[in-house]
Amino acid sequence: MSIDVQPEQTVSEPAPVPALEVRGLVKHYPGVKALDGVDLVVRQHEVLGLAGENGAGKSTLLKALVGLVRPDTGEIYVRGERVRMRSVVEAAENGIGMVFQEQSLVPNLTAAENIVLGSEGSAVRRGVYRWETMRKMAQEQLDKIGSDINPLARTDTLSFADRQMVEIAKLLRIEQRSQHPPVIILDEPTSVLESKEIETLFAQVRRLREFASVVFVSHRLDEVLDVCDRVSVLRGGQSVGELPTAGAVPAELHRMMIGSTGSDDHYHGGGVQAADRRESLLSVRGMSGATFRDVDLDVAPGEIVGIVGVHGSGREDVCRALFGAEPTTAGDVTLDGKKLDLSGTRAACAAGIGYVPAERKTEGMVGPMSVADNMVLTKQGARCTGPLVSPRKQATLVDRWIDRLSIRTPHRGTAIQRLSGGNQQKVVLARWLIAGDIKLLLLDHPTRGLDIGARSEVYRLMRELAGNGVATVLLADSLEEAIGMSDRIVVMSDGRVTKEIDCPSGAKPTPLDLVKEMV
Amino acid sequence: MSTPVLATPAADVGHADKGGPTLGQRLTSFMPLIALVALLAALSIADPDFLTQRSLTAVVRTSAPLVVLAVGATLVVLCGGIDLSIAALTSLSTVFFALWLPDLGGLTTLAVIAATACIGAVQGLTHVLLRIPSFIVTLGGMSIFSAVALVISDAGPVRITDRAATEWLTLYVGGYVPMAFVVAVIVVAAIALVLRLTPIQSWITATGYSEPAARLAGTPVDLVKVAAFTVSGACAGLASVMLVSRNFSGSPTMADNLLLPAVAAIVVGGTAITGGHGSVWRSLVGALVITLLRVGLPIVGVPSAWEQILYGAIIVAAVALTLDRSKVLIIK
Repeated sequence: MSIDVQPEQTVSEPAPVPALEVRGLVKHYPGVKALDGVDLVVRQHEVLGLAGENGAGKSTLLKALVGLVRPDTGEIYVRGERVRMRSVVEAAENGIGMVFQEQSLVPNLTAAENIVLGSEGSAVRRGVYRWETMRKMAQEQLDKIGSDINPLARTDTLSFADRQMVEIAKLLRIEQRSQHPPVIILDEPTSVLESKEIETLFAQVRRLREFASVVFVSHRLDEVLDVCDRVSVLRGGQSVGELPTAGAVPAELHRMMIGSTGSDDHYHGGGVQAADRRESLLSVRGMSGATFRDVDLDVAPGEIVGIVGVHGSGREDVCRALFGAEPTTAGDVTLDGKKLDLSGTRAACAAGIGYVPAERKTEGMVGPMSVADNMVLTKQGARCTGPLVSPRKQATLVDRWIDRLSIRTPHRGTAIQRLSGGNQQKVVLARWLIAGDIKLLLLDHPTRGLDIGARSEVYRLMRELAGNGVATVLLADSLEEAIGMSDRIVVMSDGRVTKEIDCPSGAKPTPLDLVKEMV
Repeated sequence: MSTPVLATPAADVGHADKGGPTLGQRLTSFMPLIALVALLAALSIADPDFLTQRSLTAVVRTSAPLVVLAVGATLVVLCGGIDLSIAALTSLSTVFFALWLPDLGGLTTLAVIAATACIGAVQGLTHVLLRIPSFIVTLGGMSIFSAVALVISDAGPVRITDRAATEWLTLYVGGYVPMAFVVAVIVVAAIALVLRLTPIQSWITATGYSEPAARLAGTPVDLVKVAAFTVSGACAGLASVMLVSRNFSGSPTMADNLLLPAVAAIVVGGTAITGGHGSVWRSLVGALVITLLRVGLPIVGVPSAWEQILYGAIIVAAVALTLDRSKVLIIK
């Protein structure tokens, strides 16, 4: 099958005004360009898929569409008219609504109350609910999407899929406000649904098309192709093309998402040594927890093992469990031949395990504290003489690491939140290195939100550490990164390890090989 | 290398405050001292006789129990919690003191402090192990301690006949400085010194600013919190001894009117009620400000009923000044 990447798809019938149009949207965050000139057209009565890897800018774009993020430059048009939205309410007035990944219903209210919440209208008279009116209003909404949910059921007694229906029914109330067919955005609506529920959802989405436009976001490419009329692809904050879904296969779409060239070669040729795997430093046998089951994992000294998997594969929780930050129900874990205590993070730190969380700002660092304090937070012994902190020892130690990792900060006493993302991340990494006792590094999206320069520095540091015998578990930001950095890749799906793929330098698998295993 | 030295503040309006402390922020951090000096000045204008050695001695003597209470509770606040039980615990331990004195004699002071430290530790453990908000644990504690004090004291003051055990606190160092205040300052200095010289300071600060980040950095968060509650309890014990030394009795309600002033002292000192930012020195200054208000308001002719109104207003105003609202998404 040939790949037809058309920047502007030609339409046969005369195109009416698009329901929603985005032109040249740009959004900067400190140190990173989340959106770099995105264009998007949502036609009336179509289901548009939005695809892109993590960090491609999808979520920023969606937030801009519902007024949660204000773009630096660029325009948004609703039915041909330029709009500026500063809140979800203003977006709703323009007929745009979004079903969030984390649901926004109030669990201890009935479905009907949730549906009318915020737009009660005639369901409230003199400050008092008129239950019958409200029930009818809710029923009307539910009928629209053909749902048979009892509007008087308490929301927390409904299944996740039903709650999603309630949320969609609620969203459709924005029709009343804008007097036009609404634009409904579904952000990863299938990530926690069973396959039967997904079928139901898809049926609903197709019904929605009758009286609304839908933007559908999912990591599962087969779903995107199944339910959407057209797919728009984002990469690195830019629109890279569109694809009509008729006859398309996931492989095509994925190639557009990752770029056909397989660029960013700078971390491929890092001199990967085939690690000696006869001895394994970390050995995990049958580890189970709330979101993963029977996980086996081996990491040799100096080896970088990437874990890949779609949203909900449980790989993040495996990482946290190894660090004692997520409870396990079963399993044998040894590090360097010694049984590992998974009961808490302190035990893990003492055993020589380091963890770099994906949420740098809230979990990785303590923003108002200084670079020095953040760096020595874990290995306090490195700055102490006996039980006392030695300011001189601390200054020498911290300055040495600032120098060594070329952390660009005015001073070691500067609050870490004033640094750029890349430099923050280097401080967080240094935290585990200063004592020189690190054996295993667990890196959860260590390059998330970093620019290219900072990324390659993190890659170089990872290589250097691996060269010194540190074992690394990497949850990469993209498949490319996983392939480039890993000596071996473990595929997880639905909480289980489904495949192990060797990934030596010179014989790397392609992202497509991995996608086949992941979906 | 393309990583910029500092995040560009211009990119996002919300980050405009990251370019260093503004004049307002600098002023805010010195606000407690400014307030203290301004109060002193205002009071001596209102009553020219106020600024005498005698009345200043009285002020610092009165402030001693409040300083000790506020400083102990400051540690809990720095960890991101709150200890509402301090005043009730102090009342309870004045009763302990009066009841135990006949048997324990000179050891009573130590025994009371040990007991309140244990009670504080139990509250800390309850908070940490059962994952109950410190607000609730200590609110419950407050009620329990008050009731226990009433029961064991038969709901009335317990007189002390042997004054020798507390006499040392009523002495004056150098003839002018009340011993109780000296002890309070020593407690502040000792806590400040331990924090400054050991990793505990960074553990407390990290816990207060961001507990998840502190936990993931392997900080002994639970231990630090229990320790903070223990010290807070011990401080309540010491404060009770100071009160007994002045009143020559123990009473189940003796310190009950100290809770609001203690919390006011902490926030007036500029310690953030949300945790992380602050110090015990600030609470010392805050306690002096509050005591000055207490002593001074009658001098300028404000009826005593207005005192409580003022405390309430001061707490709200001080939090309004010190709370960084950009970091608190949901105000509960």
